[in-house]
Amino acid sequence: MMFKFLYPSHLFSFLNKGISIISAIIIPFLFLSLIFALLISPQDYIQGDTVRIMYVHVPAAWMTLMCFGMISFLCILTFLFKTKNTILLYKSIAPIGLSLSLIAIITGSLWGEPTWGTYWVWDARLTSMLVLMFFYLIFIFSYKFISNQNLSLKVCTGISVIGLINLFIIKYSVNIWPTLHQTESIKIIGRTTVDSSMLLPLSMMLLVFFLYCALIFLMKYKSEVIRIKKKGLKKI
Amino acid sequence: MNLDIFVMNGYGVYVWSAFAFSFLVCFILFVKTKRTLKKLENEFKKEAMSLSDEKVSALKNKKVAQEILNTQQKAH
Repeated sequence: MMFKFLYPSHLFSFLNKGISIISAIIIPFLFLSLIFALLISPQDYIQGDTVRIMYVHVPAAWMTLMCFGMISFLCILTFLFKTKNTILLYKSIAPIGLSLSLIAIITGSLWGEPTWGTYWVWDARLTSMLVLMFFYLIFIFSYKFISNQNLSLKVCTGISVIGLINLFIIKYSVNIWPTLHQTESIKIIGRTTVDSSMLLPLSMMLLVFFLYCALIFLMKYKSEVIRIKKKGLKKI
Repeated sequence: MNLDIFVMNGYGVYVWSAFAFSFLVCFILFVKTKRTLKKLENEFKKEAMSLSDEKVSALKNKKVAQEILNTQQKAH
C-alpha cells in the first residue's frame, strides 16, 4: 500500500498523454539542438571541431549513469518491500541504459582518436564505463532468462548493488587514476570550466536525451503492463 | 557549395560518425519498442474480443484494460 502510486492502474492513464506530449515536442527540439550543436556552437581552441562529439557523448554518458542509479534504487526497493510493480519499472529502464552506454563508449572512442591518437586505452574511466555496459547486459539477461522470480530478483539486486559501486568508480576514476580521460569540466558544486556558448547546446542535447529516455521508458512500461494484463485475460 | 560543415577541418568523419551512430542506436531502439507495443496491443485486443459477452462486460470494469482498448480504437 505504501507504493500505491506505482500501481499500473494509477500510472496507465498518464502513459498515453506522456507519450503524445513527448512525441510532439521531441523532433522540433532535436532539430533546434542539432543546429546549436553542429552550426552555432564554437570550435574548441585546442580540440577544434571534435569538441562537437561532446554534445552526444556527455548526455549519453550522464543518462546511462542515471538509468543505472535508478535501476539500483528500484531493485533495492523491490527487494526490501517486495513491491512487484517496481519490477516493471526497472525492466523498462534497463534497455535504455544499455543503448546509452553503447553510445557513450563508441562516441568516446571516436572522440579519442583525433584527441589522444587512439580509439581505446585501458584508462580507468573508459574501462569502468565498459564494465557498466557489461553490468547492463548481465542484468538484462538475468531478468530475461531466470524464470524463478525470487531468484531473478535476488540476482538482479546483487548485480545492481555491485553496479552501484561501479558508478562511484566511474565518477571518481578521473581523479583517483588520472590518465588520458580529462577530469570533470562541469560541476554541480564548484566552478564549471565549459564556456556558456558550449554549455547551452550541451544542456539542450541533454534535454533531448532525457525526453528520448522518457519516451522509450513510457512505451516500454506500457508494453510490460499490457503483457501482464494479457496473461490476466485468461483468468477472467 | 560550402563543405566546411561536412569537412569540419578534417574532423568531420569523427563528428558525423558519432552523431550518426548515436541516432542509429536511438532509432533502432525506438522502432523495436514501438513494434513490440503495437504487437502487444493488437494481441490484447484480439484476445479480449474473443472472450464471451459476460467476460467482456467484466473486462469493461477494469480501468487498464479499458485504456488499452481505447488506445487501439484511437489508433484505428
